[in-house]
Amino acid sequence: MTANLLYVLGTLAAWVGVSFLIRALFVKASRGVSAGIGGLLLLFAAATPALGGGVGIPLLWVLMPFAAWGTVSCAVMAVIRLLQPLTDGSKPRLLAAAIWLGIAVLFAFAYHLDPDNKVEVLRGRITLSLVGALSLVGFLVAALCLIAAVGKVGSRLAIHAGLLAGTVVFGLPFAWLLITSFKEDRDMASANGLVWIPKVQRVVPFNDPDNPLLEGTYKGEWVQATLEGRNSDGSYFVEVQRPSSLRGVSFSAPPAAFQVVPKSAPIVEGQGFTGFVTRELDDGRRLVRFLTPSGLKGQSKTFLASDLNPVRDVGLRIQNYSDALEAMPPEAHRGLVYLKNTLTLVVLSVIGTLLSSSLVAYGFARLRFPGDSLLFKILLSTMMLPGVVTLMPQFLLFRWLGWIDTLYPLWVPAFFAGAFNVFLLRQFFSQIPTELEDAGKIDGAGVLGTFWRIMLPQVKPALAVVAIWTFMGAWNNFMGPLIYVNTPENMPLSYALQLFQAEQGGQPAMMMAFATLTILPVLAVFFFAQRYFIEGVTLSGLGGR
Amino acid sequence: MKHLAVLAGLTLSALAMPDTTISVWGAHLDPDNIAGTLAVAQAFENRHLGVHVRMLGLGTGHMNPQKLLTAIVGGEPPDVVVQARFNISDWASRGAFVSMDAFLVRDRGRADSPRRLDYYQTAWDEAIYGGKLYGIPTEADDRALYWNRTVFRENKNALITAGLDWQRPPRTWSEILRYSEVLTIKGRRAGFIPNFGNAWLYLYAFQNNAEFLSPDGKTCTLATPAAAAALKFMKQGYDILGGYAAANAFQSGFQGGENDPFVLGQVAMKVDGDWSLAGIARYSPDLDFGVAPPPVPDDRYNRVGRFANEPDRFVTWTGGFCYAMPRGCPHEDLAWDFIKFATSLEGRMVENRARASADHAKGRMYLPRIQAMKAANEALLRLYRPADLRFAEGLNVHTDLMERSRVRPPTVVGQLLWDEHARATEQALLGKLNPMEALREGQVTVQRELDTLASKSRYPLVSVNLALSAGCAVFAALLVAAWLSWRRAKLSRMARIQARWGYLCISPWVAGFLIFTVGPMLTSLFLCFTDYDVLSPPKWIGMRNFADMLGPDRANVLKAFTNAAYLAGVGVPLGIVSGLAVALLLNTGVRGMRFYRALFYLPAIVPVAASAVFWIWLLNPDPKQGLINGIWHAGIGKWMALPDPGWLTAEAWAKPALILMGVWGAGSGMILWLAGLKGVPTSLNEAAELDGASPVKSFWSVTLPMLSPILFFNIVMGFIGAMQEFDRIYIMAGDNSNGPSDSLLVPAKYLFTNAFGYFKMGYASALAWSIFAVILAITLVQFRLAPRWVHDEGGR
Repeated sequence: MTANLLYVLGTLAAWVGVSFLIRALFVKASRGVSAGIGGLLLLFAAATPALGGGVGIPLLWVLMPFAAWGTVSCAVMAVIRLLQPLTDGSKPRLLAAAIWLGIAVLFAFAYHLDPDNKVEVLRGRITLSLVGALSLVGFLVAALCLIAAVGKVGSRLAIHAGLLAGTVVFGLPFAWLLITSFKEDRDMASANGLVWIPKVQRVVPFNDPDNPLLEGTYKGEWVQATLEGRNSDGSYFVEVQRPSSLRGVSFSAPPAAFQVVPKSAPIVEGQGFTGFVTRELDDGRRLVRFLTPSGLKGQSKTFLASDLNPVRDVGLRIQNYSDALEAMPPEAHRGLVYLKNTLTLVVLSVIGTLLSSSLVAYGFARLRFPGDSLLFKILLSTMMLPGVVTLMPQFLLFRWLGWIDTLYPLWVPAFFAGAFNVFLLRQFFSQIPTELEDAGKIDGAGVLGTFWRIMLPQVKPALAVVAIWTFMGAWNNFMGPLIYVNTPENMPLSYALQLFQAEQGGQPAMMMAFATLTILPVLAVFFFAQRYFIEGVTLSGLGGR
Repeated sequence: MKHLAVLAGLTLSALAMPDTTISVWGAHLDPDNIAGTLAVAQAFENRHLGVHVRMLGLGTGHMNPQKLLTAIVGGEPPDVVVQARFNISDWASRGAFVSMDAFLVRDRGRADSPRRLDYYQTAWDEAIYGGKLYGIPTEADDRALYWNRTVFRENKNALITAGLDWQRPPRTWSEILRYSEVLTIKGRRAGFIPNFGNAWLYLYAFQNNAEFLSPDGKTCTLATPAAAAALKFMKQGYDILGGYAAANAFQSGFQGGENDPFVLGQVAMKVDGDWSLAGIARYSPDLDFGVAPPPVPDDRYNRVGRFANEPDRFVTWTGGFCYAMPRGCPHEDLAWDFIKFATSLEGRMVENRARASADHAKGRMYLPRIQAMKAANEALLRLYRPADLRFAEGLNVHTDLMERSRVRPPTVVGQLLWDEHARATEQALLGKLNPMEALREGQVTVQRELDTLASKSRYPLVSVNLALSAGCAVFAALLVAAWLSWRRAKLSRMARIQARWGYLCISPWVAGFLIFTVGPMLTSLFLCFTDYDVLSPPKWIGMRNFADMLGPDRANVLKAFTNAAYLAGVGVPLGIVSGLAVALLLNTGVRGMRFYRALFYLPAIVPVAASAVFWIWLLNPDPKQGLINGIWHAGIGKWMALPDPGWLTAEAWAKPALILMGVWGAGSGMILWLAGLKGVPTSLNEAAELDGASPVKSFWSVTLPMLSPILFFNIVMGFIGAMQEFDRIYIMAGDNSNGPSDSLLVPAKYLFTNAFGYFKMGYASALAWSIFAVILAITLVQFRLAPRWVHDEGGR
């Protein structure tokens, strides 16, 4: 009972203390007093004996279903209304309170209807471990600094603090992506929670005379294989180990076709010795050749796997990237085919969009013809049309054309001008003074000549924006390939990545490596053309205003 | 002489098939199976010179059905597909597969021709639809009871007190419930979770001699007393654990691999497939466990009542894969040869040998999977019989059970029957309906679909040509009208030239508009009123698609739109607020603004496929692996004593997970706000502050109204985007899933599944138009409301 009472008191002190600290941050009057009271209350809260042991600031937390929240907040509103000072007569005030109360009752009824509803009081505790205490102290110091630096410097600091916090939040997923892509499998999870610093197994090159690792080619592909036997004609019978997309394939070839390469033998340590594993035995034990102590060096002994610990150093497992590339189907040529397809798609889409959209936009902006405004209105209205409506008929159309399992359905439509791009470019063309055009006409340029030589250079920034936009769209396109492309030869990166995820989802390191490789080209383009990206968003959002 | 013969053979085969490639889809290319798959391909190539076998996964295991159907429909199908047997009839009924009867007849009497008597009858017959064979079985799986001997031993006294034998597993339903009662410790250990592992209602219903379909396949008999009794047994099993919801909450903490709940003793008994043997062998070879036939109804065990003359005391449920040939298969003869080889005893042995040596190379014990061919099972058991008795015994139990196995009924509505049985099970276990009611609901849905299919022939075919010519006529009329108005227009010569150029310039758009927008829109409008599966001509069914949408399928459609509304209603405002907050911070003229801006924008340019893939990993609910739960677990979760969110694996958290990811990618909104903020004259804010307004007040009354057009744009575009959300959900929920309890079922995904998964083009078109209608309605309402709050600067 007393323990519970203390816990409640501590919680109360903690909440009130935090409120005082917040008040100290935002209200100038008697700032020091507030901060002092807040700090003392927090100290008191921290000193209350913990229910679960350890020192920490107790926290009380209520988990309520939606209906319960409704009841409580409406009841609170009713009370507030009742307590309001009597300025404008009591009638509307009482009426409002009654209405709030009515709604509260309705909510309470709704709460009562569902037997699954229950209010849970959770007891937590911000434990004051070293890290927790340090961060709390850091928080307090930062708050004090803010209080001290009144005015501009303070708000500057606050803004930077906010932005830095944002940087962490937005950047952390990227950092995690990169870190994971360099991790060994055993670092994917550890008993102590997340692993932030990847480690790699230390290895020694080892030429195993009994079971050599051979390098050669199979159907033009580089392979590493193990020797499974010798045929009667003296040729080797081998089984492929790498690349993993060919693992399990076995073939015969004369010994001269192979080259013996050293294996990477993992270094392990045990009670008073280190060594490297030369063979995994069938019963799960390992054959270890000693490295230290020097007296035993070169000798071998078998150990249970549980008696050995791997020797690992901080480092990056770059091999995850080559593993990911190797795991792709042979037709993908280590992903190069995917990249080629995506690039084809991107380049053709960008060219098509630029040519067609600018021409159409020019027509709408600078040439008068019967029905032009009606047609432009139609064009604008197509921007509203959701893609799903035309999805299936387009599929039937491309099927009729025999374009299934090709890239055509993904880039040919780009040559027929998209409504949004036309709209954007038209705004730009309209702003060009007519004098320029007239000058071109005097020089004897035709309509196309004027368009190509005089008008187009004037809208270069808008063209860049359209190009970037199209690039992003083509690079990102996922549903298109999903519907139209079947074989690895024609697959772009986006769809290949999804398939890879479906097939190799259990291998996070490889997944993250592949994802990183997909992102990198876009990031590169972004860093070189950042201005156009940002302009692009601005233009699209502001509708070219 | 021998050499000569070989040479002759080589030349012959080379002549017969010069360099052909046959492709196999759905091949098992995951790390555990790739060796076996490639070995079979290679062995076949060695026998057929000049033939190359291409193995493609396309979503290993359960190959993406949409992919295969698009390929068949598009005229680019593979030669062979690896397919789960229970789906065969679904495909065959649509004419997507080639029957193998002709080949069997042709090869009758030849040694290499597959024969039914070599296989377990159930496995072979599962691939028969409408009296024709559509697939040759490869592997099989069946379910048995796994029991943790250590847990039994530790609770020896309690079991003895309850009158139970601790040295043997339960054999009947009532026994397993009593064992479970003794072994269950709420929140720490479950004695037996009826649907944990792989049992489903199917297994228990089979044990009780329930049949889900009448022999002629025209009547659904899901709701029978036998099935209801099986469901009641499951419910009792869950009641011991404190109810279905409590058991699920307990289950949500389960992990795989070395932390498997059965291995850890968190679950004392489970019904699971033979694949779990390999898992135990790999992750916890020391586990003291036993494998036994799954417990059966007491009457069946005692052979009384209905079961008095029943030959099988124990019964299990089997499934597995087979090789099939899609319609339009380019090299039928070669494909048949490949199937014959891959399913032959030799082919099975080649596959297993390669897998075994791959496993041995990784230092693992090899445990062969159950085969559908009896001889293959015997040979594999001879070759790879584990020295460890527990595993050997386990394999024996699984193999022996094959003779007493049942299969799901081959039917057109296999997938629907499965979905409905799962839904009915959930409803009954949650206590929302009693078993009979729940099953009856499912039965009604399945029966309706069966009736619809039966009545299909009633509807008239529509001539596509007629529709096409009608479209062409309208188009021609439009052209004539345009030509006439052109003739009538009084234009000067110059104007005429300019107009000609004008039309020429906009011609790409006009052409594209007609081909890719108007044509498809009209087609899609026409399809709304038809039943069209692309493989056969469309049938005119009038308003039926819409009636289905509002009637039988209302629950799904409503769920899809509710989910989209949730995603939009919470996600869009949250994205706007976070974007605006960052923009406000950046707009204060801090140093390094360009750096921050680039960084915050970065998530928005990451390709959706890539960000979805790595967010799956970030959102991993295990706090030791997933970043988000790792931080949550160590911070907020610990302080507030809150449980870790299940994110994509829990119904309540699936949508918040997507919203969280959306907020992370809200960078483009931020850029927009920044641009907008630049446009707010500082003089206005300064004036407000001179009047004594606090910065907060001046934000609300000056800045925000000035930004209202952008806010409006963001809201409209956000809603339109959210209603069409597809890519992320497709990747994150998986090809064949809509998230836990359909929590990620969204309109675009539902449409996609109907169009390219079930090939109900007509119904999908109706869905597409309703999505369009909803978007249009929302947008119109927003435009209507806009004048009330959007600040219009000078009537622009």
